[in-house]
Amino acid sequence: MKVLPSRSSEVATPGPARQPATAMIEIDHVSQVFQTSARKDHLALSDISLTIEDGAFVSILGPSGCGKSTLLYIVGGFVSPTSGSAKVKGKTITAPGPDRGPVFQEFALFPWKTVLGNVMYGPRQQGVRATEAEAQSRALIEMVGLKGYENFFPKELSGGMKQRVALARTLAYHPEVLLMDEPFGALDAHTRTRLQNDLLNIWERDRKTVLFVTHSVDEAVFLSDKVVMMSRSPGRIRQVIDIDLPRPRRRTELLLDPRYQKYVVDIERMFDDIDEAGVNP
Amino acid sequence: MTSRALSTDVLLGLLPIALLIALWQGLVSFELAPVALLPPPGLVFSRLLQQLVTFSFQQEIIATLFRLFTGFLIAVALGVGVGMVAAASPAINATVRPLVRVLAPLPKVALYPALLLLLGFGHESKIALVAADALFPILLSTYYGASTVEQKLIWSAMAAGTPRREILLKVVLPAAMPSILTGCRIGLVISCIVVFLAEMITSTDGLGHVLITAARTFQAVDMFVPLITISLLGLILNALLQAARSYLLRGFPEA
Ligand SMILES: Nc1ncnc2c1ncn2[C@@H]1O[C@H](COP(=O)(O)OP(=O)(O)OP(=O)(O)O)[C@@H](O)[C@H]1O
Ligand SMILES: [Mg+2]
Repeated sequence: MKVLPSRSSEVATPGPARQPATAMIEIDHVSQVFQTSARKDHLALSDISLTIEDGAFVSILGPSGCGKSTLLYIVGGFVSPTSGSAKVKGKTITAPGPDRGPVFQEFALFPWKTVLGNVMYGPRQQGVRATEAEAQSRALIEMVGLKGYENFFPKELSGGMKQRVALARTLAYHPEVLLMDEPFGALDAHTRTRLQNDLLNIWERDRKTVLFVTHSVDEAVFLSDKVVMMSRSPGRIRQVIDIDLPRPRRRTELLLDPRYQKYVVDIERMFDDIDEAGVNP
Repeated sequence: MTSRALSTDVLLGLLPIALLIALWQGLVSFELAPVALLPPPGLVFSRLLQQLVTFSFQQEIIATLFRLFTGFLIAVALGVGVGMVAAASPAINATVRPLVRVLAPLPKVALYPALLLLLGFGHESKIALVAADALFPILLSTYYGASTVEQKLIWSAMAAGTPRREILLKVVLPAAMPSILTGCRIGLVISCIVVFLAEMITSTDGLGHVLITAARTFQAVDMFVPLITISLLGLILNALLQAARSYLLRGFPEA
Protein backbone atom coordinates (compact mmCIF):
# COMPACT_ATOMS: atom_id res chain seq x y z
CA MET A 1 0.00 0.00 0.00
CA LYS A 2 1.25 3.39 -0.97
CA VAL A 3 0.74 5.96 1.71
CA LEU A 4 1.21 9.55 0.75
CA PRO A 5 1.35 12.73 2.78
CA SER A 6 -1.30 15.35 2.18
CA ARG A 7 0.92 17.85 0.39
CA SER A 8 -0.76 18.40 -2.95
CA SER A 9 2.49 18.60 -4.89
CA GLU A 10 3.46 15.14 -3.75
CA VAL A 11 0.22 13.37 -4.54
CA ALA A 12 0.59 10.94 -7.40
CA THR A 13 -1.92 10.21 -10.11
CA PRO A 14 -4.22 7.56 -8.76
CA GLY A 15 -5.97 4.62 -10.30
CA PRO A 16 -5.93 3.18 -13.77
CA ALA A 17 -4.20 4.67 -16.78
CA ARG A 18 -5.82 7.89 -17.97
CA GLN A 19 -4.97 11.03 -19.90
CA PRO A 20 -2.41 13.28 -18.23
CA ALA A 21 -4.08 14.35 -15.01
CA THR A 22 -5.13 17.96 -14.67
CA ALA A 23 -6.12 19.38 -11.35
CA MET A 24 -9.90 19.83 -11.06
CA ILE A 25 -10.01 20.94 -7.45
CA GLU A 26 -7.18 22.52 -5.52
CA ILE A 27 -7.61 23.05 -1.82
CA ASP A 28 -4.81 25.22 -0.59
CA HIS A 29 -4.06 25.68 3.13
CA VAL A 30 -7.72 25.91 4.03
CA SER A 31 -8.67 26.51 7.66
CA GLN A 32 -12.14 27.01 9.03
CA VAL A 33 -12.96 28.60 12.35
CA PHE A 34 -16.54 28.57 13.65
CA GLN A 35 -17.85 30.90 16.33
CA THR A 36 -19.81 28.77 18.74
CA SER A 37 -21.68 29.78 21.85
CA ALA A 38 -20.00 27.14 24.05
CA ARG A 39 -16.43 27.32 22.81
CA LYS A 40 -15.73 30.78 21.50
CA ASP A 41 -13.60 29.81 18.51
CA HIS A 42 -13.72 26.30 17.18
CA LEU A 43 -11.10 25.23 14.67
CA ALA A 44 -13.05 22.82 12.47
CA LEU A 45 -10.45 22.50 9.71
CA SER A 46 -6.77 23.15 10.09
CA ASP A 47 -4.49 23.80 7.13
CA ILE A 48 -6.03 21.42 4.62
CA SER A 49 -4.26 21.04 1.29
CA LEU A 50 -5.47 18.59 -1.28
CA THR A 51 -5.50 18.34 -5.03
CA ILE A 52 -8.12 16.30 -6.85
CA GLU A 53 -7.48 15.43 -10.44
CA ASP A 54 -10.00 15.63 -13.20
CA GLY A 55 -12.05 12.44 -13.33
CA ALA A 56 -10.85 11.08 -9.99
CA PHE A 57 -13.12 9.44 -7.46
CA VAL A 58 -11.92 10.62 -4.07
CA SER A 59 -13.45 9.68 -0.73
CA ILE A 60 -13.05 11.51 2.52
CA LEU A 61 -13.09 9.35 5.62
CA GLY A 62 -12.84 10.42 9.21
CA PRO A 63 -14.50 10.39 12.61
CA SER A 64 -17.68 12.33 13.18
CA GLY A 65 -17.10 16.06 13.60
CA CYS A 66 -13.70 16.13 11.88
CA GLY A 67 -14.94 18.60 9.30
CA LYS A 68 -15.73 16.41 6.29
CA SER A 69 -18.99 18.17 5.51
CA THR A 70 -17.41 21.56 6.10
CA LEU A 71 -14.67 20.77 3.58
CA LEU A 72 -17.29 19.68 1.04
CA TYR A 73 -19.33 22.85 1.63
CA ILE A 74 -16.23 24.94 1.04
CA VAL A 75 -15.67 23.27 -2.32
CA GLY A 76 -19.37 23.72 -3.04
CA GLY A 77 -19.06 27.43 -2.35
CA PHE A 78 -21.74 27.26 0.34
CA VAL A 79 -19.27 28.19 3.08
CA SER A 80 -16.26 30.40 2.58
CA PRO A 81 -13.09 29.35 4.39
CA THR A 82 -11.66 31.46 7.19
CA SER A 83 -8.25 31.27 5.54
CA GLY A 84 -6.69 29.63 2.52
CA SER A 85 -8.46 29.09 -0.74
CA ALA A 86 -10.20 26.46 -2.81
CA LYS A 87 -10.10 26.47 -6.59
CA VAL A 88 -12.02 24.65 -9.24
CA LYS A 89 -10.32 24.48 -12.65
CA GLY A 90 -7.88 27.12 -11.46
CA LYS A 91 -10.56 29.61 -10.43
CA THR A 92 -11.05 30.54 -6.79
CA ILE A 93 -14.40 29.35 -5.47
CA THR A 94 -16.55 32.20 -4.16
CA ALA A 95 -20.09 30.92 -4.69
CA PRO A 96 -22.01 27.78 -5.63
CA GLY A 97 -22.14 27.03 -9.34
CA PRO A 98 -23.50 24.42 -11.71
CA ASP A 99 -19.99 23.04 -12.29
CA ARG A 100 -20.19 21.54 -8.77
CA GLY A 101 -23.30 19.52 -7.97
CA PRO A 102 -24.05 18.52 -4.36
CA VAL A 103 -25.89 15.39 -3.23
CA PHE A 104 -26.83 15.49 0.45
CA GLN A 105 -27.54 12.72 2.94
CA GLU A 106 -30.95 14.34 3.59
CA PHE A 107 -31.77 14.31 -0.17
CA ALA A 108 -33.00 17.95 0.02
CA LEU A 109 -35.54 17.39 -2.76
CA PHE A 110 -38.07 20.17 -3.39
CA PRO A 111 -41.21 18.78 -1.74
CA TRP A 112 -43.52 20.93 -3.88
CA LYS A 113 -42.18 19.46 -7.11
CA THR A 114 -42.71 16.02 -8.60
CA VAL A 115 -39.81 13.72 -9.47
CA LEU A 116 -39.83 15.15 -12.99
CA GLY A 117 -40.12 18.71 -11.68
CA ASN A 118 -37.14 18.19 -9.37
CA VAL A 119 -34.95 16.75 -12.11
CA MET A 120 -35.99 19.43 -14.61
CA TYR A 121 -35.18 22.23 -12.18
CA GLY A 122 -31.46 22.46 -13.04
CA PRO A 123 -31.76 22.37 -16.84
CA ARG A 124 -34.55 24.97 -16.68
CA GLN A 125 -32.34 27.21 -14.54
CA GLN A 126 -29.62 26.76 -17.14
CA GLY A 127 -31.97 28.08 -19.80
CA VAL A 128 -32.73 24.77 -21.51
CA ARG A 129 -36.12 24.88 -23.27
CA ALA A 130 -38.95 23.13 -21.41
CA THR A 131 -39.55 20.36 -23.94
CA GLU A 132 -35.85 19.59 -24.22
CA ALA A 133 -35.32 19.73 -20.45
CA GLU A 134 -38.22 17.34 -20.00
CA ALA A 135 -36.87 14.85 -22.53
CA GLN A 136 -33.42 14.92 -20.91
CA SER A 137 -34.89 14.58 -17.46
CA ARG A 138 -37.08 11.63 -18.41
CA ALA A 139 -34.01 9.88 -19.80
CA LEU A 140 -32.10 10.54 -16.57
CA ILE A 141 -34.97 9.30 -14.44
CA GLU A 142 -34.96 6.12 -16.48
CA MET A 143 -31.20 5.83 -16.06
CA VAL A 144 -31.45 5.95 -12.27
CA GLY A 145 -34.13 3.26 -12.47
CA LEU A 146 -37.24 5.31 -11.68
CA LYS A 147 -39.16 5.10 -14.94
CA GLY A 148 -42.85 5.30 -14.16
CA TYR A 149 -42.33 7.49 -11.10
CA GLU A 150 -42.03 10.81 -12.98
CA ASN A 151 -45.23 12.24 -11.51
CA PHE A 152 -44.73 11.03 -7.95
CA PHE A 153 -43.93 13.49 -5.21
CA PRO A 154 -40.80 12.88 -3.11
CA LYS A 155 -42.92 12.02 -0.06
CA GLU A 156 -44.33 9.08 -1.98
CA LEU A 157 -40.88 7.51 -2.51
CA SER A 158 -38.64 5.35 -0.32
CA GLY A 159 -35.30 6.67 0.94
CA GLY A 160 -33.34 4.89 -1.77
CA MET A 161 -35.64 6.21 -4.48
CA LYS A 162 -35.36 9.73 -3.09
CA GLN A 163 -31.59 9.54 -3.24
CA ARG A 164 -31.79 8.36 -6.87
CA VAL A 165 -33.94 11.37 -7.67
CA ALA A 166 -31.47 13.65 -5.88
CA LEU A 167 -28.62 12.17 -7.92
CA ALA A 168 -30.61 12.59 -11.15
CA ARG A 169 -31.49 16.17 -10.22
CA THR A 170 -27.81 16.96 -9.79
CA LEU A 171 -26.64 15.06 -12.90
CA ALA A 172 -29.29 16.91 -14.93
CA TYR A 173 -27.28 20.14 -15.02
CA HIS A 174 -24.08 18.33 -15.97
CA PRO A 175 -21.77 19.34 -13.13
CA GLU A 176 -18.13 18.48 -13.70
CA VAL A 177 -17.71 17.70 -10.02
CA LEU A 178 -20.08 15.71 -7.84
CA LEU A 179 -19.96 16.61 -4.16
CA MET A 180 -21.57 13.80 -2.22
CA ASP A 181 -22.01 14.09 1.55
CA GLU A 182 -22.77 10.67 2.98
CA PRO A 183 -25.34 10.21 0.22
CA PHE A 184 -26.05 6.61 1.17
CA GLY A 185 -25.70 7.07 4.92
CA ALA A 186 -29.42 7.00 5.62
CA LEU A 187 -30.11 3.87 3.56
CA ASP A 188 -30.28 0.20 4.49
CA ALA A 189 -27.36 -2.06 3.57
CA HIS A 190 -29.00 -3.61 0.53
CA THR A 191 -30.17 -0.33 -1.00
CA ARG A 192 -26.78 1.17 -0.21
CA THR A 193 -24.99 -1.58 -2.16
CA ARG A 194 -27.27 -1.18 -5.15
CA LEU A 195 -26.81 2.57 -5.22
CA GLN A 196 -23.03 2.19 -4.91
CA ASN A 197 -23.06 -0.07 -7.98
CA ASP A 198 -25.28 2.32 -9.90
CA LEU A 199 -23.11 5.28 -8.97
CA LEU A 200 -20.00 3.42 -10.16
CA ASN A 201 -21.69 2.53 -13.45
CA ILE A 202 -22.63 6.16 -14.03
CA TRP A 203 -19.13 7.23 -13.08
CA GLU A 204 -17.46 4.68 -15.39
CA ARG A 205 -19.54 6.14 -18.20
CA ASP A 206 -18.74 9.82 -17.94
CA ARG A 207 -15.88 9.96 -15.42
CA LYS A 208 -16.96 13.01 -13.49
CA THR A 209 -14.75 14.12 -10.67
CA VAL A 210 -16.33 12.87 -7.44
CA LEU A 211 -15.66 14.05 -3.92
CA PHE A 212 -17.42 11.56 -1.69
CA VAL A 213 -17.79 11.86 2.09
CA THR A 214 -18.51 8.68 3.99
CA HIS A 215 -18.23 6.95 7.34
CA SER A 216 -17.86 3.55 5.77
CA VAL A 217 -14.34 2.23 5.10
CA ASP A 218 -15.83 -0.45 2.92
CA GLU A 219 -17.68 2.02 0.76
CA ALA A 220 -14.65 4.30 0.44
CA VAL A 221 -12.34 1.49 -0.72
CA PHE A 222 -14.92 -0.01 -3.06
CA LEU A 223 -15.66 3.27 -4.84
CA SER A 224 -12.49 5.33 -4.79
CA ASP A 225 -9.22 5.96 -6.54
CA LYS A 226 -8.02 7.75 -3.46
CA VAL A 227 -9.09 7.78 0.17
CA VAL A 228 -8.37 10.85 2.28
CA MET A 229 -8.19 10.02 5.99
CA MET A 230 -8.93 12.89 8.33
CA SER A 231 -8.41 13.22 12.06
CA ARG A 232 -10.36 15.25 14.54
CA SER A 233 -9.91 18.35 16.68
CA PRO A 234 -8.79 20.16 14.69
CA GLY A 235 -9.76 18.54 11.39
CA ARG A 236 -6.59 17.62 9.55
CA ILE A 237 -5.67 15.34 6.69
CA ARG A 238 -3.97 12.33 8.26
CA GLN A 239 -3.14 10.38 5.16
CA VAL A 240 -4.02 10.02 1.51
CA ILE A 241 -4.20 6.42 0.35
CA ASP A 242 -4.23 5.39 -3.29
CA ILE A 243 -6.60 2.52 -3.94
CA ASP A 244 -4.94 0.51 -6.64
CA LEU A 245 -7.70 -1.87 -7.62
CA PRO A 246 -8.78 -2.70 -11.17
CA ARG A 247 -11.90 -1.18 -12.69
CA PRO A 248 -14.65 -1.78 -13.47
CA ARG A 249 -15.12 -3.08 -9.97
CA ARG A 250 -17.57 -5.78 -9.01
CA ARG A 251 -18.43 -5.98 -5.37
CA THR A 252 -18.63 -9.77 -5.28
CA GLU A 253 -15.20 -10.12 -6.87
CA LEU A 254 -13.62 -7.45 -4.71
CA LEU A 255 -14.84 -9.00 -1.48
CA LEU A 256 -12.69 -12.03 -2.30
CA ASP A 257 -9.72 -9.98 -3.44
CA PRO A 258 -6.92 -9.97 -0.80
CA ARG A 259 -5.76 -6.53 -1.96
CA TYR A 260 -9.22 -5.11 -1.27
CA GLN A 261 -9.30 -6.82 2.11
CA LYS A 262 -5.91 -5.41 3.01
CA TYR A 263 -6.97 -1.86 2.15
CA VAL A 264 -10.07 -2.22 4.31
CA VAL A 265 -8.18 -3.68 7.27
CA ASP A 266 -5.32 -1.17 7.04
CA ILE A 267 -7.69 1.77 6.90
CA GLU A 268 -9.80 0.43 9.74
CA ARG A 269 -6.65 0.11 11.88
CA MET A 270 -5.79 3.68 11.03
CA PHE A 271 -9.32 4.68 12.02
CA ASP A 272 -8.84 3.01 15.41
CA ASP A 273 -5.58 4.92 15.91
CA ILE A 274 -7.32 8.20 15.09
CA ASP A 275 -10.17 7.38 17.44
CA GLU A 276 -7.76 6.65 20.29
CA ALA A 277 -5.83 9.82 19.53
CA GLY A 278 -9.14 11.68 19.45
CA VAL A 279 -9.94 10.74 23.04
CA ASN A 280 -6.75 12.29 24.34
CA PRO A 281 -5.48 14.76 21.77
CA MET B 1 -56.80 10.82 2.18
CA THR B 2 -59.33 8.57 0.48
CA SER B 3 -62.79 9.93 -0.30
CA ARG B 4 -64.23 7.31 2.04
CA ALA B 5 -62.15 8.49 4.98
CA LEU B 6 -63.00 12.06 4.02
CA SER B 7 -66.75 11.45 4.14
CA THR B 8 -66.38 9.72 7.52
CA ASP B 9 -64.55 12.81 8.73
CA VAL B 10 -67.32 15.06 7.44
CA LEU B 11 -69.94 12.93 9.19
CA LEU B 12 -67.99 13.03 12.44
CA GLY B 13 -67.68 16.79 12.08
CA LEU B 14 -71.42 17.21 11.54
CA LEU B 15 -72.24 15.28 14.70
CA PRO B 16 -71.45 18.00 17.27
CA ILE B 17 -73.24 20.59 15.09
CA ALA B 18 -76.34 18.35 15.03
CA LEU B 19 -76.07 17.94 18.82
CA LEU B 20 -75.86 21.70 19.26
CA ILE B 21 -79.02 22.20 17.23
CA ALA B 22 -80.72 19.39 19.19
CA LEU B 23 -79.72 21.11 22.44
CA TRP B 24 -81.12 24.36 21.11
CA GLN B 25 -84.39 22.64 20.18
CA GLY B 26 -84.43 21.00 23.62
CA LEU B 27 -84.06 24.35 25.39
CA VAL B 28 -87.05 25.65 23.48
CA SER B 29 -89.17 22.46 23.76
CA PHE B 30 -88.74 22.17 27.52
CA GLU B 31 -89.44 25.90 27.84
CA LEU B 32 -86.12 26.54 29.52
CA ALA B 33 -85.82 29.71 27.47
CA PRO B 34 -88.69 31.96 26.41
CA VAL B 35 -89.55 31.56 22.71
CA ALA B 36 -89.57 35.32 22.28
CA LEU B 37 -85.86 35.40 23.11
CA LEU B 38 -84.75 32.00 21.80
CA PRO B 39 -86.83 30.99 18.78
CA PRO B 40 -86.79 27.30 17.80
CA PRO B 41 -84.17 26.32 15.18
CA GLY B 42 -86.83 25.28 12.66
CA LEU B 43 -88.27 28.79 12.66
CA VAL B 44 -84.84 30.36 12.28
CA PHE B 45 -83.82 28.11 9.39
CA SER B 46 -87.08 28.58 7.53
CA ARG B 47 -86.73 32.36 7.94
CA LEU B 48 -83.16 32.06 6.70
CA LEU B 49 -84.34 30.27 3.56
CA GLN B 50 -86.99 32.95 3.02
CA GLN B 51 -84.44 35.70 3.45
CA LEU B 52 -81.77 34.14 1.24
CA VAL B 53 -83.90 34.60 -1.87
CA THR B 54 -84.69 38.26 -1.19
CA PHE B 55 -82.66 40.87 -3.03
CA SER B 56 -82.16 43.07 0.02
CA PHE B 57 -80.72 40.25 2.15
CA GLN B 58 -78.44 39.21 -0.71
CA GLN B 59 -77.19 42.81 -0.82
CA GLU B 60 -76.29 42.58 2.87
CA ILE B 61 -74.40 39.35 2.29
CA ILE B 62 -72.54 40.84 -0.65
CA ALA B 63 -71.55 43.92 1.37
CA THR B 64 -70.17 41.72 4.14
CA LEU B 65 -68.36 39.37 1.78
CA PHE B 66 -66.83 42.23 -0.16
CA ARG B 67 -65.37 43.75 3.01
CA LEU B 68 -64.23 40.39 4.29
CA PHE B 69 -62.45 39.43 1.06
CA THR B 70 -60.85 42.77 0.38
CA GLY B 71 -59.58 43.08 3.93
CA PHE B 72 -58.35 39.50 3.97
CA LEU B 73 -56.56 39.81 0.62
CA ILE B 74 -54.84 43.02 1.70
CA ALA B 75 -53.72 41.20 4.85
CA VAL B 76 -52.40 38.27 2.79
CA ALA B 77 -50.50 40.51 0.38
CA LEU B 78 -49.00 42.61 3.16
CA GLY B 79 -48.39 39.76 5.59
CA VAL B 80 -46.72 37.45 3.09
CA GLY B 81 -44.75 40.28 1.48
CA VAL B 82 -43.42 41.77 4.69
CA GLY B 83 -42.89 38.36 6.32
CA MET B 84 -40.82 37.10 3.38
CA VAL B 85 -38.72 40.23 3.09
CA ALA B 86 -38.11 40.34 6.84
CA ALA B 87 -36.94 36.73 6.79
CA ALA B 88 -34.60 37.44 3.89
CA SER B 89 -33.02 40.65 5.13
CA PRO B 90 -31.67 41.12 8.65
CA ALA B 91 -31.82 44.91 8.22
CA ILE B 92 -35.51 44.89 7.29
CA ASN B 93 -36.17 42.37 10.04
CA ALA B 94 -34.56 44.69 12.57
CA THR B 95 -36.72 47.55 11.31
CA VAL B 96 -40.00 45.66 11.23
CA ARG B 97 -39.64 43.58 14.39
CA PRO B 98 -40.23 46.33 17.02
CA LEU B 99 -43.21 47.65 15.06
CA VAL B 100 -44.76 44.17 14.92
CA ARG B 101 -44.05 43.64 18.63
CA VAL B 102 -45.91 46.85 19.48
CA LEU B 103 -48.82 46.48 17.07
CA ALA B 104 -49.52 42.73 17.16
CA PRO B 105 -50.97 42.53 20.71
CA LEU B 106 -52.95 45.77 20.28
CA PRO B 107 -56.74 45.15 20.13
CA LYS B 108 -57.29 46.44 16.61
CA VAL B 109 -60.96 47.15 17.30
CA ALA B 110 -59.74 50.04 19.47
CA LEU B 111 -58.58 51.62 16.22
CA TYR B 112 -62.06 51.44 14.75
CA PRO B 113 -63.31 54.84 15.97
CA ALA B 114 -60.21 56.44 14.50
CA LEU B 115 -60.66 54.50 11.26
CA LEU B 116 -64.27 55.65 11.06
CA LEU B 117 -63.27 59.29 11.40
CA LEU B 118 -60.46 58.82 8.92
CA LEU B 119 -62.13 56.64 6.28
CA GLY B 120 -65.85 57.21 6.81
CA PHE B 121 -68.76 54.89 7.48
CA GLY B 122 -68.57 52.97 4.18
CA HIS B 123 -66.52 49.97 3.13
CA GLU B 124 -63.08 51.47 3.73
CA SER B 125 -63.12 51.62 7.52
CA LYS B 126 -64.33 48.01 7.81
CA ILE B 127 -61.85 46.74 5.24
CA ALA B 128 -59.05 48.50 7.08
CA LEU B 129 -60.07 46.93 10.38
CA VAL B 130 -60.32 43.44 8.86
CA ALA B 131 -56.92 43.84 7.22
CA ALA B 132 -55.33 45.13 10.43
CA ASP B 133 -56.63 42.19 12.44
CA ALA B 134 -55.88 39.45 9.91
CA LEU B 135 -52.43 40.82 9.07
CA PHE B 136 -50.41 39.69 12.08
CA PRO B 137 -51.10 35.95 12.16
CA ILE B 138 -50.29 35.83 8.44
CA LEU B 139 -47.16 37.94 8.80
CA LEU B 140 -45.84 36.01 11.78
CA SER B 141 -46.41 32.57 10.29
CA THR B 142 -44.89 33.66 6.97
CA TYR B 143 -41.84 34.98 8.78
CA TYR B 144 -41.53 31.79 10.80
CA GLY B 145 -41.94 29.55 7.74
CA ALA B 146 -39.54 31.56 5.60
CA SER B 147 -36.84 31.70 8.25
CA THR B 148 -36.91 27.97 8.95
CA VAL B 149 -36.50 26.79 5.34
CA GLU B 150 -33.99 23.96 5.16
CA GLN B 151 -30.62 25.41 4.17
CA LYS B 152 -29.84 22.54 1.82
CA LEU B 153 -32.90 23.27 -0.33
CA ILE B 154 -31.45 26.73 -0.92
CA TRP B 155 -27.98 25.31 -1.59
CA SER B 156 -29.38 22.77 -4.02
CA ALA B 157 -31.11 25.54 -5.98
CA MET B 158 -28.05 27.79 -5.95
CA ALA B 159 -25.85 24.97 -7.22
CA ALA B 160 -28.36 24.36 -10.01
CA GLY B 161 -27.79 27.94 -11.11
CA THR B 162 -30.52 29.95 -9.38
CA PRO B 163 -29.22 33.46 -8.67
CA ARG B 164 -29.33 34.59 -5.06
CA ARG B 165 -32.04 37.21 -5.71
CA GLU B 166 -34.40 34.61 -7.18
CA ILE B 167 -34.03 32.19 -4.26
CA LEU B 168 -36.76 34.00 -2.29
CA LEU B 169 -39.43 33.39 -4.94
CA LYS B 170 -38.26 30.05 -6.26
CA VAL B 171 -37.35 28.26 -3.04
CA VAL B 172 -38.25 30.15 0.13
CA LEU B 173 -41.84 31.00 -0.85
CA PRO B 174 -42.87 27.49 -1.93
CA ALA B 175 -40.97 25.90 0.96
CA ALA B 176 -42.72 28.20 3.46
CA MET B 177 -46.14 27.55 1.93
CA PRO B 178 -47.44 25.17 4.66
CA SER B 179 -46.74 27.78 7.30
CA ILE B 180 -48.12 30.63 5.18
CA LEU B 181 -51.39 28.80 4.56
CA THR B 182 -51.79 28.03 8.26
CA GLY B 183 -51.47 31.76 8.90
CA CYS B 184 -54.02 32.47 6.16
CA ARG B 185 -56.48 30.08 7.73
CA ILE B 186 -56.26 31.83 11.09
CA GLY B 187 -56.46 35.17 9.27
CA LEU B 188 -59.63 34.11 7.47
CA VAL B 189 -61.42 33.13 10.67
CA ILE B 190 -60.38 36.43 12.24
CA SER B 191 -61.64 38.26 9.14
CA CYS B 192 -65.09 36.67 9.52
CA ILE B 193 -65.29 37.71 13.15
CA VAL B 194 -63.98 41.22 12.65
CA VAL B 195 -66.11 42.16 9.66
CA PHE B 196 -69.22 41.18 11.60
CA LEU B 197 -68.06 43.03 14.68
CA ALA B 198 -67.31 46.19 12.71
CA GLU B 199 -70.73 46.08 11.09
CA MET B 200 -72.35 45.64 14.48
CA ILE B 201 -70.57 48.64 15.93
CA THR B 202 -71.22 51.15 13.18
CA SER B 203 -72.65 50.43 9.77
CA THR B 204 -75.55 51.08 7.46
CA ASP B 205 -75.53 47.65 5.85
CA GLY B 206 -74.02 44.17 6.10
CA LEU B 207 -74.95 41.12 8.18
CA GLY B 208 -73.71 42.63 11.44
CA HIS B 209 -75.92 45.63 10.86
CA VAL B 210 -78.94 43.35 10.18
CA LEU B 211 -78.37 41.68 13.55
CA ILE B 212 -78.11 44.94 15.47
CA THR B 213 -81.26 46.32 13.78
CA ALA B 214 -83.19 43.17 14.70
CA ALA B 215 -81.90 43.27 18.28
CA ARG B 216 -82.94 46.89 18.71
CA THR B 217 -86.49 45.99 17.66
CA PHE B 218 -86.57 42.72 19.66
CA GLN B 219 -86.96 40.55 16.54
CA ALA B 220 -85.33 37.41 17.97
CA VAL B 221 -85.75 35.34 14.78
CA ASP B 222 -84.23 38.05 12.59
CA MET B 223 -81.37 38.30 15.03
CA PHE B 224 -80.43 34.67 14.58
CA VAL B 225 -80.63 34.73 10.77
CA PRO B 226 -77.50 36.83 10.14
CA LEU B 227 -75.68 34.89 12.86
CA ILE B 228 -76.35 31.59 11.14
CA THR B 229 -75.52 33.17 7.78
CA ILE B 230 -72.05 34.33 8.86
CA SER B 231 -71.33 30.90 10.38
CA LEU B 232 -72.30 29.21 7.13
CA LEU B 233 -70.21 31.67 5.13
CA GLY B 234 -67.26 30.98 7.41
CA LEU B 235 -67.75 27.26 6.93
CA ILE B 236 -67.84 27.59 3.14
CA LEU B 237 -64.83 29.91 2.98
CA ASN B 238 -62.83 27.62 5.24
CA ALA B 239 -63.72 24.65 3.04
CA LEU B 240 -62.58 26.57 -0.05
CA LEU B 241 -59.30 27.51 1.62
CA GLN B 242 -58.85 23.92 2.75
CA ALA B 243 -59.32 22.73 -0.83
CA ALA B 244 -56.76 25.25 -2.07
CA ARG B 245 -54.44 24.13 0.71
CA SER B 246 -54.68 20.43 -0.13
CA TYR B 247 -53.91 21.25 -3.75
CA LEU B 248 -51.00 23.58 -3.06
CA LEU B 249 -49.47 21.33 -0.40
CA ARG B 250 -50.04 18.03 -2.18
CA GLY B 251 -46.30 17.33 -2.17
CA PHE B 252 -45.71 18.16 1.49
CA PRO B 253 -45.55 15.27 3.96
CA GLU B 254 -47.79 16.74 6.65
CA ALA B 255 -50.61 17.93 4.36
N1 LIG C 1 -22.27 26.37 11.18
C1 LIG C 1 -21.48 25.93 12.18
N2 LIG C 1 -21.32 26.67 13.28
C2 LIG C 1 -20.52 26.25 14.28
N3 LIG C 1 -19.84 25.09 14.28
C3 LIG C 1 -19.97 24.30 13.20
C4 LIG C 1 -20.80 24.68 12.10
N4 LIG C 1 -20.73 23.68 11.18
C5 LIG C 1 -19.90 22.77 11.70
N5 LIG C 1 -19.43 23.12 12.90
C6 LIG C 1 -18.47 22.37 13.73
O1 LIG C 1 -17.40 22.02 12.91
C7 LIG C 1 -16.99 20.69 13.16
C8 LIG C 1 -17.01 19.89 11.87
O2 LIG C 1 -18.35 19.75 11.44
P1 LIG C 1 -18.72 18.88 10.16
O3 LIG C 1 -20.19 18.89 10.04
O4 LIG C 1 -17.95 19.36 9.01
O5 LIG C 1 -18.21 17.43 10.60
P2 LIG C 1 -18.35 16.05 9.83
O6 LIG C 1 -16.98 15.50 9.72
O7 LIG C 1 -19.12 16.23 8.58
O8 LIG C 1 -19.18 15.19 10.87
P3 LIG C 1 -20.21 14.00 10.56
O9 LIG C 1 -19.39 12.86 10.13
O10 LIG C 1 -20.87 13.76 11.87
O11 LIG C 1 -21.14 14.49 9.51
C9 LIG C 1 -17.91 20.15 14.24
O12 LIG C 1 -17.25 20.20 15.46
C10 LIG C 1 -19.08 21.09 14.24
O13 LIG C 1 -19.56 21.25 15.54
MG1 LIG D 1 -21.05 15.58 7.90
